[in-house]
Amino acid sequence: MKESSNIIEVKGLTKSFGETEVLKGIDLDISEGEKIAIIGPSGCGKSTFLRCLNCMEDPTSGSIYFDGVDIADVRVDINVHREHIGMVFQQFNLFNNKNVLQNIMLAPVHLQTKRLRRAKIHNFFCKLFRKKEKMIPIETTAERIEENARARAMELLNRIGLADKADVYPSTLSGGQKQRIAIARALAMNPKVMLFDEPTSALDPEMVGEVLDLIREVANDGMTMVIVTHEMGFAREVADRILFMSDGVIAEQGTPEQVFDHPQNPRTQQFLKCVL
Amino acid sequence: MKAFDVFYQQFITKGGYKTVLLGLLTTLQIAIIGLLIGIVLGTLIAVVKVIPKYKKLPKALNAICNVYVGFFRGTPMVVQLLIGYFVLMPALGISLDAVVVATIVFGLNSGAYVSEIMRAGIQSVDVGQLEAGRALGLPFSTAMLKIVIPQSIKNILPTLGNEFIVLVKDTSIVSFIAVTDLTKAFRQIGDANYEYIVPYLFLALVYLVIVMLITYLIKLMERRLKRSERKQ
Ligand SMILES: Nc1ncnc2c1ncn2[C@@H]1O[C@H](COP(=O)(O)OP(=O)(O)OP(=O)(O)O)[C@@H](O)[C@H]1O
Ligand SMILES: [Mg+2]
Repeated sequence: MKESSNIIEVKGLTKSFGETEVLKGIDLDISEGEKIAIIGPSGCGKSTFLRCLNCMEDPTSGSIYFDGVDIADVRVDINVHREHIGMVFQQFNLFNNKNVLQNIMLAPVHLQTKRLRRAKIHNFFCKLFRKKEKMIPIETTAERIEENARARAMELLNRIGLADKADVYPSTLSGGQKQRIAIARALAMNPKVMLFDEPTSALDPEMVGEVLDLIREVANDGMTMVIVTHEMGFAREVADRILFMSDGVIAEQGTPEQVFDHPQNPRTQQFLKCVL
Repeated sequence: MKAFDVFYQQFITKGGYKTVLLGLLTTLQIAIIGLLIGIVLGTLIAVVKVIPKYKKLPKALNAICNVYVGFFRGTPMVVQLLIGYFVLMPALGISLDAVVVATIVFGLNSGAYVSEIMRAGIQSVDVGQLEAGRALGLPFSTAMLKIVIPQSIKNILPTLGNEFIVLVKDTSIVSFIAVTDLTKAFRQIGDANYEYIVPYLFLALVYLVIVMLITYLIKLMERRLKRSERKQ
């Protein structure tokens, strides 16, 4: 473990798809509670970078320290770490075969129950081999896990004002509702970091506001966040730091004022001229 | 009407219907159990085909599956049946009932076809569904079992119904290894008086009715599945 308040440290990250190198060496430290917005032209590798942060794309080289552990190392059990890294997709990706409540509860219940089952099996063998001192204390039951997850899910649904949709299937919801539920689903895992990949790009304009409001709320709660976005106003308002990516590298970074008002890199200037 | 009278005599009075009913049972048994075996095998093969292949084991399994699917899709089922009964069984020194052999061959054969059905069904589900599950920390197997496969069923079931129809019709070849199925039962009725016209027309009618029945059930199922998607 390293002594630092950085929750994520990216070192020399590259990613290639076949012959094409999409990320060409990225270094980035993200401190706890920091909000980072990534902007840049289409195809410059923003999504790929974000997806590398939870290893949805396996990095080609480099390391990604999350909480001091290099999750780019293939020997690491990535699933354990992904539980603490929430991800919100452009296309929402709610589970179509589950209702809203099940969408939120599925992963927490499954993972905790699995852990409980493992502990029970472990304890069984401890008893068998008379090694009682190695037993894992069990404080919960499958019912309690389910109950807690349900309570937490309902709490989140109440918070986003969609408690009445708990039993509804995703196909009946509006885009804005889907995305807010997708955010709630990620929050239900109590993640340490949230990754957003253009969370409002697939939404009708009138629904962008409600989703941004929720993300802003989550930000104000102190969540560490990395947001890929085309909403420049929102990035300026919420982010502590703006990264401008271009052609697989971080071409410029700084506070919103620095990047938006006094961009140094000609490519940043060019890009901002086009989008602002 | 003489031909019909002869058939009636043989079918009802002389108890030919009993053989036919037993034959029908055998036909359905081979098709149903064959399909079930096929579903299990096909699902396993489909999973091997969709799992990421960085490691050696999935690669090796994939190669085995390719050989298996290639063989069963590349040779006629009659030949597979003959090889199973007259080549493999003596070679392995085991003796199984011909119905059992037929069922196993049908299962193995349908496994090859079902694997393709399953694979197409799984790939018809948006990859975002799997990614969302994985991003929450669910292992590949759980995300597949709880999220992707249930959604693929909607696309798989109707095609699986068609596979069942194919199996039912294909059972008419099992008389090659001396199994008395529906076809053989009707042939025996014809053999009794060398009068085949009515028995064979009747045989076709029975197959037709069975297939229509299955088709109807598939339609019913499809409508059910569509409705469950819309439900509030
Ligand atoms: N799975 C993949 N296989 C091959 N190439 C890929 C894959 N994913 C992304 N790419 C390529 O990598 C490059 C960067 O893609 P990426 O999605 O990261 O861009 P982006 O900055 O998010 O763009 P956008 O703003 O359009 O979302 C693109 O040229 C894309 O074609
Ligand atoms: Mg993108």
